[in-house]
Amino acid sequence: MIDLDKPATATPPQFLKFHATGSEYFRIWIVNLLLSIITLGIYSAWAKVRRNQYFYSSTELAGSSFAYHGNPIAILKGRIVAAVVVGAYALAGQFSPVFLGIMMLVMAAVVPWFIWRSLQFQLHNSAWRGIRFRFDGTLRAAYINCLLRPLLNLVTFGLATPYIHQRLKAWQFNESRFGQARFATRATVGNFYWLYAGFMAVLIAAGVVFGVLFAMQMASVAGRSPAEVAMRGMGVGAMLGGAAFYLLFLSMGPLFVALVQNLVWNHASLAQHQFRSHVIPARMFLIIFTNLIAVICTLGLFLPFAQVRLMRYRIEALQMIPDGSLDDFVAQTGADVGASGEGVSDFMDFDFSL
Amino acid sequence: MNRDDSAAPAVAARYFDGRTSRLHRVTLTVADGVAQVSGEAERSAPLAGLRVSERARHAARKVTFDDGAWLEIDDRAAFDRLLAATGHRDSHVVRTQQSWRGVLLALAVTVVVLAAAYLYLLPAAASWVAAALPVEAERQLGQGVLEFLDKKILAPTRLPVARQQQLQQQFAAMIAPEADAPTWTLVFRSSCIGPNAFALPSGDIVMTDQLVDLLKDDQAVMGVLAHELGHLHRRHLTRRMVQSSAVAAITWVVFGDISSLLTALPTVALDMKYSRDAEYEADDYAVAMLRRNGINPEHMAQSFIKLAKASGDHGPSYLASHPATDERIARIRAAR
Repeated sequence: MIDLDKPATATPPQFLKFHATGSEYFRIWIVNLLLSIITLGIYSAWAKVRRNQYFYSSTELAGSSFAYHGNPIAILKGRIVAAVVVGAYALAGQFSPVFLGIMMLVMAAVVPWFIWRSLQFQLHNSAWRGIRFRFDGTLRAAYINCLLRPLLNLVTFGLATPYIHQRLKAWQFNESRFGQARFATRATVGNFYWLYAGFMAVLIAAGVVFGVLFAMQMASVAGRSPAEVAMRGMGVGAMLGGAAFYLLFLSMGPLFVALVQNLVWNHASLAQHQFRSHVIPARMFLIIFTNLIAVICTLGLFLPFAQVRLMRYRIEALQMIPDGSLDDFVAQTGADVGASGEGVSDFMDFDFSL
Repeated sequence: MNRDDSAAPAVAARYFDGRTSRLHRVTLTVADGVAQVSGEAERSAPLAGLRVSERARHAARKVTFDDGAWLEIDDRAAFDRLLAATGHRDSHVVRTQQSWRGVLLALAVTVVVLAAAYLYLLPAAASWVAAALPVEAERQLGQGVLEFLDKKILAPTRLPVARQQQLQQQFAAMIAPEADAPTWTLVFRSSCIGPNAFALPSGDIVMTDQLVDLLKDDQAVMGVLAHELGHLHRRHLTRRMVQSSAVAAITWVVFGDISSLLTALPTVALDMKYSRDAEYEADDYAVAMLRRNGINPEHMAQSFIKLAKASGDHGPSYLASHPATDERIARIRAAR
């Protein structure tokens, strides 16, 4: 809806800004953590609302911040249901394979529903400039994207993963709304296959390097008896190598998520507006790797700082390229909002925003 | 900055009406318990119907109307004075979060609570759960584990039936060190995981041929069986299950935000102590049982030495999940 009183103004490209700081989030985090522990987890729903409100209102696009409206009671209800299901699953695994099998089926049946509800909850409770986001995906599509299509991997030995991933991301994006405006991403299945192939090549190269180092270490101890090797441990070199390998392994997940962010957002649009994501893989990896070391060395106290540091990099890498004014988004009218958002619970911290 | 005549200042803000994303530059004033928005948009509302977002140094501050419209505050200093003038107070949680003294106190209390829970509360709770859960329930839940293992890592025993019966009768004749010992079934199997013995929730004590062959000493075999009976008698399976799930849940609460993979490391490290404690408890039980039946616990110490030697040759085995052998042997000998 164009405001006729003034001409549509061109808006220059807008980078997202993130004003949260590690020290401020540390203070929020530690108080949240204490209250969550002494209330046996009940407060964690309120903690989530406080955390999200802080992060959302610290995130700025075109001079205006975001807002989080999540209701802690709804989050608590969802968490109780999720805890019961996940807890039963974990206990079943400890006791008997038969129960485990039953619980795996139950999990498979409910997880797509959890994800669907969580996406609705998260978007419905996010807003910018007074307009809420929304998720319009159907439950049927949730089961196709999160349960049926992943089953393809049973017969393709994982080769369908990029395809499954692309379909899931496309579903999330194309069913997301900001007011009445639609999100979309044009990232194709081919794009995803290239991303996976490139990432696998890097992983294999890293694996070969570590394999060679490990073989050299083995060769250096080959002359000694097994008992002697066991007594002396594997040597400092091998210890450091093992630690580096573990940290590398831990860094890969977040790094990959960031690369998917680039891929999806570089092809994303909201109505006629476009987006760019400028995450540099090497820079991202450095942040994740140093974060992990700092978290381990501080026994977890660096955690909130690490989180803010990572979020800042990922958020500030995002850029919106508006086509025309950003004043013209229109909220969805009454009834439709209720149908897709209110009364929905949040079951998982399903990270959609990036 | 323009000031209102009243004590409460006028606050520069941006108003979003909740219907479009259009930005309206406005000022906010409060008089007689009613907030007045004026400028590019006009609106008034009683203070009771407004929600003020929590204070944070780096986050934008908002005032939300009941229909979803909101004000984003530009002049934060003036807004703070306005809030003070209207008698608005931050919640206790926000005040704690904004003061370093409160934060350090929260940190100290968190550390103390977590340490107390880890050292005392969780072991006590696990014992309580084990006591409350009937043995029959545990056994019912444990059905199917042996069949599963039979398919995966265990093969039928090659020990002669007479030998099996002899060991079975010898152990059955022993008296447990404490009353109300649970019933057990001794199961012989051959395994691809080397010399091993373990107790299952179903009450089965699995003994591998390789272990019997390795020990070559029936009294040492009795020691190993007594150790496994100790696990059953002290309800270690249920207690360990409670402990490890609680540790996993708590580390997830603390560390889960950053990486669910990272939580694996502290979970394993923290759970190790409980695992060790359970082994020591079972060792003590076995020593008491051997003594009660007139067997020198040194037989058990010797069995650990043999197992340690065997694990040097065959990679991971029975001792992998257990405390250091030297410590356990020293403990057994000290118990004399």
